Amino acid sequence: MYGGDEVSAIVIDLGSHTCKAGYAGEDAPKAVFPSVVGSIDQMEVDDPTNVEKNSGSALDSKNNVKPLDSDKAKGKRKLYVGSQALGYRRDHMEVLSPLKDGVVVDWDMVDSIWDHAFRECLLIDPKEHPMLLAESSSNTPQQRERTAELMFEKYKVPALFLAKNAVLTSFASGRATSLVVDSGGGSTTVAPVHDGYVLQKAVASSPIGGEFLSDCLMKSLESKGITIKPRYSFKRKEIRPGEFQTVDLDFPNTTESYKLYSQRAIVSDIKECVCRAPDTPYDESAYSNIPMTPYELPDGQTIEIGADRFKTPDVLFNPSLVQTIPGMESFAEVASSVRGLPQMVIESINKCDVDIRRELFSSILLAGGTASMQQLKERLEKDLLEESPQAARVKVLASGNATERRFSVWIGGSILASLGSFQQMWFSKSEYEEHGASYIQRKCP
Amino acid sequence: MEAVVVDAGSKLLKAGFAVPDQAPSMIIPTQMKRMLEDGSLADNPSLEDTTVDPVVRGFIRDWDAMEDLLHHVLYSGLGWEMGNEGQILFTDPLSTPKAVREQLVQMMFETFNISGFYASEQAVLSLYAVGRISGCSVDIGHGKIDIAPVIEGAVQHIASRRFEIGGIDLTKLLAQELGKSNPLVNLNISDVESLKEQYSCCAEDEVAYKKTQQSCQTEQHTLPDGQVITIGRERYTVGEALFQPSILGLEAHGIIEQLVRSISTVSSENHRQLLENTVLCGGTASMTGFEDRFQKEASLCSSSIRPALVKPPEYMPENLIKYSAWVGGAILAKVVFPQNQHVTKGDYDENGPSIVHKKCF
Repeated sequence: MYGGDEVSAIVIDLGSHTCKAGYAGEDAPKAVFPSVVGSIDQMEVDDPTNVEKNSGSALDSKNNVKPLDSDKAKGKRKLYVGSQALGYRRDHMEVLSPLKDGVVVDWDMVDSIWDHAFRECLLIDPKEHPMLLAESSSNTPQQRERTAELMFEKYKVPALFLAKNAVLTSFASGRATSLVVDSGGGSTTVAPVHDGYVLQKAVASSPIGGEFLSDCLMKSLESKGITIKPRYSFKRKEIRPGEFQTVDLDFPNTTESYKLYSQRAIVSDIKECVCRAPDTPYDESAYSNIPMTPYELPDGQTIEIGADRFKTPDVLFNPSLVQTIPGMESFAEVASSVRGLPQMVIESINKCDVDIRRELFSSILLAGGTASMQQLKERLEKDLLEESPQAARVKVLASGNATERRFSVWIGGSILASLGSFQQMWFSKSEYEEHGASYIQRKCP
Repeated sequence: MEAVVVDAGSKLLKAGFAVPDQAPSMIIPTQMKRMLEDGSLADNPSLEDTTVDPVVRGFIRDWDAMEDLLHHVLYSGLGWEMGNEGQILFTDPLSTPKAVREQLVQMMFETFNISGFYASEQAVLSLYAVGRISGCSVDIGHGKIDIAPVIEGAVQHIASRRFEIGGIDLTKLLAQELGKSNPLVNLNISDVESLKEQYSCCAEDEVAYKKTQQSCQTEQHTLPDGQVITIGRERYTVGEALFQPSILGLEAHGIIEQLVRSISTVSSENHRQLLENTVLCGGTASMTGFEDRFQKEASLCSSSIRPALVKPPEYMPENLIKYSAWVGGAILAKVVFPQNQHVTKGDYDENGPSIVHKKCF
């Protein structure tokens, strides 16, 4: 048992797209950075430019100057974490994600992400703060044990707790029972929560998330002949006083994954500014004449976006639309097996006990970055009203503030970790040493 | 009695009573020398005169030294009397860990017995000094660079960036470059520091910089100990390092690019308001030619909205750029203390140091 008072817990939510970390008790995470890492394989590069930071480099100041990237020379490769480090283009740097379909495949990367969050973003010593980690509803017992091992052995945290994303979102809105629709970067998960516990058999998930929508938008723009130039590939030069010209720069050693990553960043911004969920299912003919919205790309090009504004978000509701987007045919098989958002919600509720269905219908929570899209809440409510049983009263709740929706899992964690009654539920280091990592299954249900 | 405002930087500590349209009355170096008691001098002659830096990279690290320094500042410098201490406002850099803040509050209330305390972030204060509540503050100090977008007085932590490079790294760079071009001269770091302040400047743009690297006028300078050195293109190298960090050996973008990228994380409706109200502050930003170069680079950056610098109001003292955080603190002190929004001794006794997180943000 870890009874902490006057101590600030740290809440970390490692999502598929961004990692959010910060102190418990605050209303927003302090550190938000992409949860992908750049990795350079040492074997490929012959020259010693990528040697570790403490080598005899010419600059003495480097030993006192903290490098801007948190790198980890682990045998064969060097990892770069954080938006500053990833924002700098390096030769042969691949962008990799530690998660695949919600499951951790590379623990080194997860380790370096946590390290970056503690050492560089929050500037704390993990030994002094209990950690609350948010995990996905489909987390396996082996992963939980591995997480516990890594936290206690390497970071020597005094106490740990693993909470499910859906439960935290539920707490953030002050309810113990609700249906959580978490639409994040990598996937969309629908999970019912009853009295603080996730009903595992009714959890549904689909691979369509923010990144998928960005890809749709990008392919759609490319098919119209618009090329998105990544930020590193051009430079503005002043040819005459007051007159500027964009010059293309060529970096032949940039990897495809880095180029894609930079382009996705720009397209995500377009998506967030311009896309709205349509009020009715998307129809080619109805939207062919709508006025176009202009958007200025970083290189100065102004592009006009018309029907794509509504088509892309509609993929959430109707995944088969993906087949009509040129360039996305490879996803057609995936899309056909995936249900739209309203169908997932109905299916999930139907798998629950009859008694709680009513309560679930009347408290559907929206969370996640993609859920902060404009008009999404209204559209979902409308679609659900049509498909739900007559007697049910459907209510979709979402906090008005877009930042709150994006970080609702983290906020729930912040609330939970600062509750007085929670302090006795921590899985402490002494319990770990006594019972081992498998004890976590008992302590964190 | 007026409240006291203290801005403890890595190089200079600015302190004074809260009179906003004047410069701080005390600007002293934060660096201290440790003098051993007479008895032990004979045993360890090598330990004489070790320099102590209580503030490292913006954060207070050596609490005992800080206590001594504040003792000197408050009692000898500003004339406080024991038993009749007043109120004090401190400035914090970005991303100050909670533990550091709590320790500071504890030290102030328990060791110094002050009657009221408030802490605020330097980024917000620099904006107050130029009369704005929203904008982007670029603070280039001795130990760190902070880029912080502020909207209506609240720092957007998600978008703000902190770099652990600053004047101290530029000094080391200059020392190295001078060492290369004047191999026979013995240079002392504090001499290099004053050389940097006297001579360094920024080239007009990249093209002009390349020209200086090839050929530049040299000047002769006599050091205090009599040695003569020539300074030529090194002066421009130091200024250029902020715009091209590869000179320092770091893999990062120049300062304008970092500014634009950090703003792009904030929601786009605020971009215009933030970029068009950019404030430069900090000792290193007062380098000759820095502002002009900043504006030039800003017009070349890859963004639809160009960063534009804010002009400080005329009633503010000259050289505001060097201590705008202090001036902002003076302005804030005039608002916070009379309205009792600060942490009082009673609050501290009842709740402990963690009250600072609830009352000061």
